[in-house]
Amino acid sequence: MATPTPQNIIDKATGISTTRRGFIKNLSMAGAGLVVGLPLTACASNPLPNNNLSALQPNAVLQITSDNQINFYLPRSEMGQGTYTGLTTIVAEELDVDPARIHVLHAGKHEDYINPEFQFQATGGSNSLRIHFLPLRHLAANARQVIRQAAAQQLNLSLADIQTDNGNIIANGKIMPYGDFADHANSLPFPEDAPLTDKEQFKYIGKNTHTLDGLQKSTGTAQFGIDIDFEGLHRAALKRCPVIGGTVKSFDDSEAKTMPGVKLIVEIYNGVAVIAEHYYQAKNALPKLKIQWNLPDTLSAFSSDSTATDNGKGLFKTALDSDQATNAFEQGDGIEALQNADTIVSAEYWAPYLAHSTMEPMNCTARLTGDTLELWVGTQTPQLAAYAAAYYADVPKDNVIVHSTFLGGGFGRRSESDFVAEAAAIAKASGLPIQLCWSREDDMQNDRYRPASMAKFTIGINKQGVIDSWIVKRAGPQLMPYVIDNLVDGLMPSILPNPMVDWLSKTGYGLYGSLLVDHSSVEGLYEDYDVPHKSSDHVSVDPGLPLGAWRSVGHSFSGFFKESMIDEVAAQLNQDAVAFRLKHLNNNPKLANVLRVAADKAGWHKPLPAGHYHGVAVHESFSSFVSQIAEVSVNNNQLIIHRVTCVIDCGLAVNPGIVEAQMESGIIYGLSAALSGEITLKNGQVQQSNFHDYPALRMHETPAIDVVIIDSDEAPTGVGEPGLPPIAAAVANGIFAATGKRLRSLPLKLEA
Amino acid sequence: MINFELNGQPVQVAADSDTPLLWVIRDHLKLKGSKFGCGMGLCGACSMLVDGESTRTCILPIAAVQGRSITTIEGIGNKNLLSTLQAAWIDASVPQCGYCQSGQLISATALLSKNSNPSDSDIDAGMSGNICRCGTYPNIKKAIKQAAKNMRQDNNSTQAVAYFDPVAAREEVQ
Repeated sequence: MATPTPQNIIDKATGISTTRRGFIKNLSMAGAGLVVGLPLTACASNPLPNNNLSALQPNAVLQITSDNQINFYLPRSEMGQGTYTGLTTIVAEELDVDPARIHVLHAGKHEDYINPEFQFQATGGSNSLRIHFLPLRHLAANARQVIRQAAAQQLNLSLADIQTDNGNIIANGKIMPYGDFADHANSLPFPEDAPLTDKEQFKYIGKNTHTLDGLQKSTGTAQFGIDIDFEGLHRAALKRCPVIGGTVKSFDDSEAKTMPGVKLIVEIYNGVAVIAEHYYQAKNALPKLKIQWNLPDTLSAFSSDSTATDNGKGLFKTALDSDQATNAFEQGDGIEALQNADTIVSAEYWAPYLAHSTMEPMNCTARLTGDTLELWVGTQTPQLAAYAAAYYADVPKDNVIVHSTFLGGGFGRRSESDFVAEAAAIAKASGLPIQLCWSREDDMQNDRYRPASMAKFTIGINKQGVIDSWIVKRAGPQLMPYVIDNLVDGLMPSILPNPMVDWLSKTGYGLYGSLLVDHSSVEGLYEDYDVPHKSSDHVSVDPGLPLGAWRSVGHSFSGFFKESMIDEVAAQLNQDAVAFRLKHLNNNPKLANVLRVAADKAGWHKPLPAGHYHGVAVHESFSSFVSQIAEVSVNNNQLIIHRVTCVIDCGLAVNPGIVEAQMESGIIYGLSAALSGEITLKNGQVQQSNFHDYPALRMHETPAIDVVIIDSDEAPTGVGEPGLPPIAAAVANGIFAATGKRLRSLPLKLEA
Repeated sequence: MINFELNGQPVQVAADSDTPLLWVIRDHLKLKGSKFGCGMGLCGACSMLVDGESTRTCILPIAAVQGRSITTIEGIGNKNLLSTLQAAWIDASVPQCGYCQSGQLISATALLSKNSNPSDSDIDAGMSGNICRCGTYPNIKKAIKQAAKNMRQDNNSTQAVAYFDPVAAREEVQ
């Protein structure tokens, strides 16, 4: 079947040609060397602002100064997934310079850095290499070309006599740095059609060079948002309603005010902030605040352990069993085809809410000077962060400057701007430059969570033992209403009055609550296998806990659901789990291939040590294809995962070491969720608070992981997220092989 | 006033005696390499060597380090003089987001200072107090083994750097 393009969150799949050259601009800047801008969108008609660049506020991605500094303004955030090295390597290849010689800077907020698939400045959807691979190569190739042209003219030679090597012009037996020609290059028309380097000639792409940020990150010198410090900066801690969304009714700060170091206490839209000289002083004073809250109605009524039919899992089950579904996908005769089935296999699955728990708790530094607001923050969405901050600090959007930093983990959490809004509101209310730092407890209890989900599959099998109909229905809350709320606040024109923006947000919420299906609610549930008749339905049911994109989004639960289900069908028919999948992957040759390679590598058909069993899963997400085989044993209800074999086809691996590390990363992050990840609520209040009750996998719990990368000439596809979706099912299917127990709920619990 | 040795240099700090060492180092002494992760001693992002032991400093009151020797990531090595472990870390491309890595390096330094040839289970035991949400564990293990090998082969390799200038460190961080 056709490969679906990854759905972007505002549902405007662009299909723009990444080879388009018309949007490469030459930004002249006298005396400052060659500066080329690459608006990463297709909005060629939109003239670039700030033609008079200065070193203080660059708006281009690449800059070569006359003193031979090569600057690359990293348009996508670095949160561990490897853009810092990956995108720089792409530029380096075509510019013909060692990537380690390029000075990489985090791009601030600017329209030049818009992600063309999202139409705003965002890092996510595992698309950074995929969308930038060709445009950045063209940009760098053209930049190298114009430097060669300048050198030819300056040296009075023909272009053919001008060679390059590692940032130098080689001509007449002399070696001269690019910078010597940067000023003259800047006066020439910028080329549009310099040829790209052939794969066989690649010096840097596809090679296993070490990551470019490793030095900073191994010496404690990489700067994260929390590390920002300057004279006069105060620290803030915020007490929020125990139920997210509640507001302050009244508060008494008489005791908190007397605590050491406390400078000021201010109320903002969602809580009361203590501002002190040092963070721990603000944190220590927080419990002394006495606050009466207005609790949000819907969420306060929800308790995960309720056995009622309209609460806890019962709320989801009631929705799943109702006939209120909206169809999201249909193929062939859909559900009607079930009548012709020889055998029907049906099962229901559950996945809980999850927190991101990045290692760096949310934080943001804000300084308001007049009506200019500066932010220092590690964010996946600098533009939305700025707009949210503008709203809460009541300054014009254009007056917000974002100083981006490394992100101490993202996983989707830092695509939200709630913590930025808080920082802006506190800076506004206090009149002080502040750094808002969340505690781990704040972080775990005020996340934007992976939506809990329940799904029911009904699979019809024909007399030949082949799946004929694939019917799946998912019940749960949808991400889009929460995302749209941010987008509308952020992207609506500034001239709209705030109440209208609020109204639009709520309207968007209402539509998604009832009529529309957000693709992330059903993605991954039905696509991968060849089945003539398919139907995917959705029922929206929302306890009111705020949601966000969590590494691999819908695939984070659909990978488990779908791959457990196909395993159940294979087991029911007494078919080999690999062979049965392959039988239904004729139209998905890449997925079939990664499965075959994984089975071979893991020794699927070979005997295992006594008591060891294999479980397999495959899943396509973010245009990449992944197969994982887990080798497990279960003794006295103790699960050990000995080894995971992972095979990925992600097109050309720009840095194979990063691809391997991202597979390990996705597996380990996914195992934390599969084995223990669960956010539960009591009267709307998140019950988990820190790593003791929301554990993360530790080294001694981590299996051996073997990664195979399929050799490919195709353009790169996603790696940050696709390693995650199969792992829970691979383990659960291994547990079934070991024990005969089919675990249909996450996290996987062996004791019934 | 609390007196202790920080990265080989005597320092004196005026802070409430129950202030966690982590915040004294980050907020008062402005060394930002050690990170805040959980505030409960559960994740290891704040790890520092206290008399050579990898210690969770987000829960260690400053009063408890009177007269003791503290080494932070800044004292293990620097960009110009990497420790053997740091060099192995960079070669193995260990860091992903990087936030937990100072703590990981501190625990690995403590491990190798006591055991120059650690087995897999020695490494697991020495590193189990440090969480990495990016899942860099496989590469951490590789880097520790490589560093151990390098140290066994070359006794001159740098294990720690004694010289420390708080002013320069502060400028570098800012």
